[in-house]
Amino acid sequence: MKARRVKGLDPEAPLGDNAERIVRVRLDELTSFMPKAADPDEVVALHDMRIAAKRLRYILEVTGQVFGPYAENAVKLVKDLQDLLGEIHDCDVQLPEVAAFLEELVAADVAAAGASPKDLAKTPNRRTYAGLVALQVHLRARRRALFEEFLELWRDYERKGFAARLAFALSERSQSPE
Amino acid sequence: MAKAEEIAVDPYEPYAVAAARVVRVRTQELFGHSEGVLDTSDIERVHDMRVATRRLRAVLEIFEPCFPKGDFKTALRDVKALADALGERRDPDVHIEDMEGFEAQVQATLRPGIDALVERLRSQQARGNDALAAALDHVRECDLHARLLSLADGAEELLE
Repeated sequence: MKARRVKGLDPEAPLGDNAERIVRVRLDELTSFMPKAADPDEVVALHDMRIAAKRLRYILEVTGQVFGPYAENAVKLVKDLQDLLGEIHDCDVQLPEVAAFLEELVAADVAAAGASPKDLAKTPNRRTYAGLVALQVHLRARRRALFEEFLELWRDYERKGFAARLAFALSERSQSPE
Repeated sequence: MAKAEEIAVDPYEPYAVAAARVVRVRTQELFGHSEGVLDTSDIERVHDMRVATRRLRAVLEIFEPCFPKGDFKTALRDVKALADALGERRDPDVHIEDMEGFEAQVQATLRPGIDALVERLRSQQARGNDALAAALDHVRECDLHARLLSLADGAEELLE
């Protein structure tokens, strides 16, 4: 996902004003994926939301200290969200890989087997199927549990006014470190 | 995972001054993690360097308007290429670790399938390591380290 362009950045202007422009765009990017990403089948929206969380986290890690106090708290909240979305993404990547690998092994056994059911006792990959099917079951169950956790986390952020509080903190400036 | 150094920034300092300081620190962090990354027996090294690359890439993008355009473009391209090569090695590292953890918790009859998958992942890891070795050679040949520091200088010169 390509990051939205931030307009009006000026190298000579204060860091705080430039950083505010960037964070506002990145925060808007992140929140724009909901409610679409609340659908477990929206794999692409979830992936893009993870990337948006990563971008917001990194700008806040560097510049969070120039804003009001909530901006620094937000770094951890965004990181927790990014980590959770990352774990869901890992399942989404691994599931088709495991399926493709299993299919490859099955295809090799099909090529090796004859017409008799007795041939199945000799196929080279016959002992691998069970483990790979079990792994698919595990990854799907894990994905479902992580997705529930993500929905609960987002609801919690909404209840606590995460986006509004961060937006307000962006209009504040910390004291210069002397 | 290696923690990033905290860099003090001032809300009222010019954007370009902060850019120079932050990019210098993140560049040093990246090259500080380059030791021993091709050693597959210690997968944390690749992880640390990959995280440092992501942080550097992020700050380059955050401070983009402060850098000379052409130099910025080629430096960012090379940082991205390094990040991709680190990812190519890191992804199988993580999958192997996950699969070994999974295998340790399931009954013996399920293990042959997981062993076969791990064997496949080890080949991917070896290919990833070759790609990473080539990427590290390129980073040395094109002197990415010096070019990144020169980008930081360029940000400061913008204000002179």
